Amino acid sequence: MLPPPRRIHSKKEVNQGCFAMIQMYHVYKTYGKDLEALVDVNLHIHKGECVFLAGSSGAGKSTILRLIFRDELPTSGQILVNGRNVVRMKLRAVPHLRRTLGIVFQDFKLLRDRTVEENLALVARIVGMPNPEGRQRAAQLLTLVGLSHKARMLPYKLSGGEQQRVAIARALMNDPVVLLADEPTGNLDAELAADVIRLILDINARGTTVLVATHDLKLAEEAGRRTVFLKKGRIVEEWP
Amino acid sequence: MLKKLKQIPADAVVNLIRSGWGGLASIATIGVSFLIIGIFLILVLQFNALVAEWREQFQLSVFLEDKITPKQLEILEKRIQNEAAVKSVTFITKEQALATFRRELKGQESLLEGLGDNPLPASFQLKIREGSQSPAALERLSVFLRRLEGVEDIQYGHEWIERMSSAARVTKLLGLIIGSVLTLGSALIVSNTIRLAVYTRAAEIEIMRFVGATKAYIRAPFLVEGMLQGSLGALLAMGLLFAAYRFIAPTFKLASPLLSTAADRGLLEPSMIAALVGGGAAIGALGSSLAVSRFLKT
Repeated sequence: MLPPPRRIHSKKEVNQGCFAMIQMYHVYKTYGKDLEALVDVNLHIHKGECVFLAGSSGAGKSTILRLIFRDELPTSGQILVNGRNVVRMKLRAVPHLRRTLGIVFQDFKLLRDRTVEENLALVARIVGMPNPEGRQRAAQLLTLVGLSHKARMLPYKLSGGEQQRVAIARALMNDPVVLLADEPTGNLDAELAADVIRLILDINARGTTVLVATHDLKLAEEAGRRTVFLKKGRIVEEWP
Repeated sequence: MLKKLKQIPADAVVNLIRSGWGGLASIATIGVSFLIIGIFLILVLQFNALVAEWREQFQLSVFLEDKITPKQLEILEKRIQNEAAVKSVTFITKEQALATFRRELKGQESLLEGLGDNPLPASFQLKIREGSQSPAALERLSVFLRRLEGVEDIQYGHEWIERMSSAARVTKLLGLIIGSVLTLGSALIVSNTIRLAVYTRAAEIEIMRFVGATKAYIRAPFLVEGMLQGSLGALLAMGLLFAAYRFIAPTFKLASPLLSTAADRGLLEPSMIAALVGGGAAIGALGSSLAVSRFLKT
């Protein structure tokens, strides 16, 4: 139902078989003088992979996501996203980086005064998608997340799970190469959380690389995907 | 690109409508600020007009000796006319002076009966250029005139001019101080009001950043919206002023000569209205731009 993901690698890269979507090399992030949010983080995520970042709050999960979409810069270390070094990236290139990413937050971050449809249309306009195409894509994505019948409703009239599905649909509007989800189930009860995770895995199955940060170890375990455990800013374990 | 640019004002209007009561409240706040400035401006303008009128009517009298010859009179008139400070000269004959006096004494003409010969001197009535109406300049002029042949005496409201010019100085200074304080205060109120309006939309700015909107793309509608709010507020104030004026002016016209000149002159000149509305737009743009910048690190 969705258009095929756009090709983002040269044939040469594809022929080499396996290639990285996100590469973090010796990344440190220190806030102020001595608050170490990340310590020597090395993380490599391949194209098409689905990775869970697990850890209690304050472990550095969100920081990793924020570094990837260049909301913040690391204190030291290098980060490559889809082959581009985001640390050395010029400021005016940042919007273009973000247009290749989809981001989902714990608090949904939907605009309260606009309908579900309009929330999705905002992205279409920002990435410069023509109106008819944007409308069509929004309709497709709302069908994908099972909310096409609520397109004209205001977000706060939807349940938390529904709002998060709208947020996911919005994150997919620009056909991202990576979907970043920061505690996407943090505000949801267990049943709705499982729904949302299922949706995210479904999106991954369609070819989008996915990185999910969660403090819910059980959820990560149930998903059965590669899981990276963080503790006090360090990667302490990886599973499997 | 052009299509995008055209979209900006439309977006701004839509955003303004979306902001609903909040948007109206900020426009009203801005309007009140401009109302205060407007009232102050009108008072200053009226006062200036009044002073100008007084200055316009100001006259210096050169009284002539009775024995002055026509030849001397001619020379004297020429010399007076050649003075840079003199705007115009009118000659008043003894008979005209008496006639005027008689008119002023209306009802009490009997007082004049015992006079016999006309005791009033002929005179030149001088209108003085505004620039030369300072007490010092007038003093210099009168000393010069007094020395001329055929001149009996010089008269002008000596003390009155002195008091008037010092009063004008004080009022000017006071007006400048009050005016700057008011302007500064209004600028702060307007930019803060718009800032608050932007802050309530911090979430929207964040979302736009995260989905890859450029700074300019985020900033432009806010800028236009700020300009709109600022200028609409100023327009609202002007509208209120004119409405109040039309409503109240007839009563004032009867009550106070100060305001009757206002009634004749109209309220504010178009250029001033344009300046106020433009100022509103500028402050609005600045305020919103500063506010948005806070949320736009990348």
